[in-house]
Amino acid sequence: MISLSSIIASLNAGLLENLKLFFITLLLSAPLGLVITLGSMSKIKPLRALTRTFVWIIRGTPLMLQLFVVLYGPGLLFGMPMKSRFTAAVIAFVINYAAYFSEIYRGGIESIPKGQYEAGQVLGMTKVQIFFKVILLQVIKRITPSMGNEVITLTKDTSLARVIGIPEIIMSADRFTKKGLIGPLFATGLYFLAMNGALTILLGRLEKKMDYFKV
Amino acid sequence: MAILEVKGLKKRFDSLEVLKGIDFSLEKGEALALIGVSGSGKTTLLRCLNFLEVPTEGQILVNGQVIFDASNPAMLSEKEIRHNRLHFGMVFQQFNLFPQYTALQNVTLAQELLEKDTAEYKQNKKAVMERIHERGAELLGTVGLSDKLDYYPHQLSGGPPQRVAIARALMLEPDILCFDEPTSALDPELTGEVLKVIRGLADRNTTMVIVTHEMKFARDVSDKVLFMDQGVVVESGSPQEVFENPKEERTRQFLERYFAE
Repeated sequence: MISLSSIIASLNAGLLENLKLFFITLLLSAPLGLVITLGSMSKIKPLRALTRTFVWIIRGTPLMLQLFVVLYGPGLLFGMPMKSRFTAAVIAFVINYAAYFSEIYRGGIESIPKGQYEAGQVLGMTKVQIFFKVILLQVIKRITPSMGNEVITLTKDTSLARVIGIPEIIMSADRFTKKGLIGPLFATGLYFLAMNGALTILLGRLEKKMDYFKV
Repeated sequence: MAILEVKGLKKRFDSLEVLKGIDFSLEKGEALALIGVSGSGKTTLLRCLNFLEVPTEGQILVNGQVIFDASNPAMLSEKEIRHNRLHFGMVFQQFNLFPQYTALQNVTLAQELLEKDTAEYKQNKKAVMERIHERGAELLGTVGLSDKLDYYPHQLSGGPPQRVAIARALMLEPDILCFDEPTSALDPELTGEVLKVIRGLADRNTTMVIVTHEMKFARDVSDKVLFMDQGVVVESGSPQEVFENPKEERTRQFLERYFAE
């Protein structure tokens, strides 16, 4: 007989992997995405072409494939095997999400009317002042819904890390199906629902905070 | 001495020459109306004065001092341009108010940023901010919006947004205030209040350059009219001269077409 507490302990251990991957990915890919945006909006043509090709490759291939490539690529191509599977997962996730974020940022920045920049310019503001005092908040307001989508997708995508052997929550639950138990699998669904319920509320609050103006 | 002198100003976009050598001058306290069909180069000229476009050739002088010379690369640096463009204020056709700021904040933001580096600000931030806010509120008062200081742009509709934009441009006390078709984005019944504000500025001898399609307004309010066509000044003179007694055939045709409608 399998005890309930051992199931919960097992699921929680799995969840911890998902959460670790989720937070580290979010923390690193959000700023990295901005760097990629700068590249894809650069006035230097080769840099722009290079960045956009990179984004095309990352968005155009499965994250699952990227996980395998990051895990095995260094070892098989350069004789420097990845020491940690978790690090490999983080690298693949961060690059993948940074590519998506960069496109959201770019869309947001490009959607701000030219007149906003010009109004700042004729008032003698510097480029930096215009970006931080005028443009940024408008961009944040515009991209919050799309960013919310990505963040929610990320919570679920973290389970993909099991393909390179990260013992995440669905993998933990799957072990019990072999012993004839479906309950743990359903329980993981509840975990995700709870997590994304909390995220939805949080994102809703953020949107509400920016309700005082319209863009 | 003229407050503004423009000499041989040319602007080329790739192969298209939009301004083909513009010369004019303006005395302090005068209002200049720029008229002409769409595509004649009026707006480009105004944008050149504000350095939103960099002229390809020519000079711009303010109070006799060269603030722009296309042949002098040192004058094209970002810092130099930012400094010199403050001689000019700009009111846009589409207002371009900052949506996340209230009417008052829209008016005061740039001044606050400009004063942030001054010694006075560092010593007494509160007093400086108060002074800026008082001045901003006063300017919103002069455009008739004393009761709307804390409104956000989306809460204002019709003429008020453009009046906020005028107050915002006045805040930095430009030598020359430019208007780019200030009423073209407004419904006809709302143009009056904005024109009234501009008229008030003219009465107080604000030096202005106004691009407009409102001929009656141009005639009433300006001291000088420039009729442009295809990138050149076809005719210039007092409103009486240009409107009542145009010398050039192109001016006559333009006015006939306008007043026939």
